[in-house]
Amino acid sequence: MRLEVKGLIKIFPAPPLSGGAPLHALDGADLDADTGVTGIGGANGSGKTTLFRTLAGILEADSGMILAGGEAAGPERLRELAAYCPSNPRSFYFRLTAAENLRFFGALAGLSAAEAAERAGKLAPRLGLAPADLGRRFDRLSEGNMQKVSLIRAFSRRTPLLLLDEPFRGLDGVACRGLLELIEEAARGATVLLTSHSRELLNAAAERQLRIDQGRMPPGGPQ
Amino acid sequence: MTAAGVIAAFIRRDFLAERSYRLSFALGALATLANLAVFYFIGELFGGAMAPGLEPYKAAYFPYVFTALAFFGYIGTGAGSYAGRLRQEQTQGTLEAVLSTPLGVPRLLAAMSAWNFLFATFELSVYALAGAFIFKLRLPAANWPAAALVFVLSAACFAALGILSSCFVMLFKRGNPLAWVLNNFEGLLGGVYFPVAVLPAWLLGVSKLLPVTYAVRAFQLAVHGGAGPAKIKGDLLALAAFDLVLIPAAVWLFGLAVNRARRTGTLGEY
Repeated sequence: MRLEVKGLIKIFPAPPLSGGAPLHALDGADLDADTGVTGIGGANGSGKTTLFRTLAGILEADSGMILAGGEAAGPERLRELAAYCPSNPRSFYFRLTAAENLRFFGALAGLSAAEAAERAGKLAPRLGLAPADLGRRFDRLSEGNMQKVSLIRAFSRRTPLLLLDEPFRGLDGVACRGLLELIEEAARGATVLLTSHSRELLNAAAERQLRIDQGRMPPGGPQ
Repeated sequence: MTAAGVIAAFIRRDFLAERSYRLSFALGALATLANLAVFYFIGELFGGAMAPGLEPYKAAYFPYVFTALAFFGYIGTGAGSYAGRLRQEQTQGTLEAVLSTPLGVPRLLAAMSAWNFLFATFELSVYALAGAFIFKLRLPAANWPAAALVFVLSAACFAALGILSSCFVMLFKRGNPLAWVLNNFEGLLGGVYFPVAVLPAWLLGVSKLLPVTYAVRAFQLAVHGGAGPAKIKGDLLALAAFDLVLIPAAVWLFGLAVNRARRTGTLGEY
């Protein structure tokens, strides 16, 4: 699916009466990506996560345009089209097992319990997550295993747009290799955008790379 | 995924989470019984004589407060649970993840407090069993169809108030004036612990602005006095009017609050 982003602006207002200034997180970002993997590099605070959260339909842009498959896509449509793996893997219910979490979020995305379990069962070994860990309470998982569950949640949805924000964070070597394979497979049918502060992993995952700087992405091809 | 499927997923999630706190679960049920016992002994202290304020209900104090607490316990679930659930999602960092799925606002609202209503139904049955077997309470005159009508109208009205209250949580995270009013004044001014007839005139005027006043009075008249829909028509109409205004307003405002949080980037904040 072709994804076009034109002049995207996202400003976070300062808290009322704080005396602070608004934060221009995206300041006219342009992006053009097609089926395949596009890596997005950039320093801390450059706007990568805000870009991904906007493309995932979590945030609403202040201005600019997002076209998915040639059609304008608002936040509601983007939430249908995109699966997002956040850079922080702690967005799960800690008192539930990993499998129960995946079942719950799968249901919100339209997956039946059987589909969610089947997909989790297939993805977990690819990332080096043992079946016992799927049955373990989420708060008893290591940080790396939490990240794997977060990745499984995103990959399970099989959406045409996959947004992976720092997906290698906390993963061991085996899991990184497994993730690279999964990204390659997903990219055959989906537009995959990913960020990483590891130049090596970004190069391994994405031939095409763009850079975001102070909320701006110059239009055009590879940077 | 159908709305029923989403509701089932939320109920399963909340049941599993609640079950993991076993002691809290058990203590909650005990607290309900202890609360009832307090009012039972207050009723014993003053004997079975009917106070003048209770005459329209044809009930002594303990039966009056027992049914009012059971009723208010259930409908109050709607008022408190939406904001509570939303706040919980904010603090545990899952709200943004839930709202990053295709789940829309109406389905979220239908599912978010489903577990609380289910648990409140369980508590209501605890009340009923305790009333029948421990406190030997009998309600021979009850008009159950009329009581059920009051129940449905009231539960919808309080759910709408709860949704309105959760708008404050969505926008301000902490500091919820509507919850403050609901928590502190509904019981006091709504006739839950005593009939509103005992209030001074100026407070009686305030109580008339609250849906709980109409809800509790109509329910008590139906359950103790055997009043049918014709006799409690005024209260039913008042509740229906509250529903007509509050339900669409609450859903609409909650949608606006979510959209504002998406615009300001505060969905994941707590």
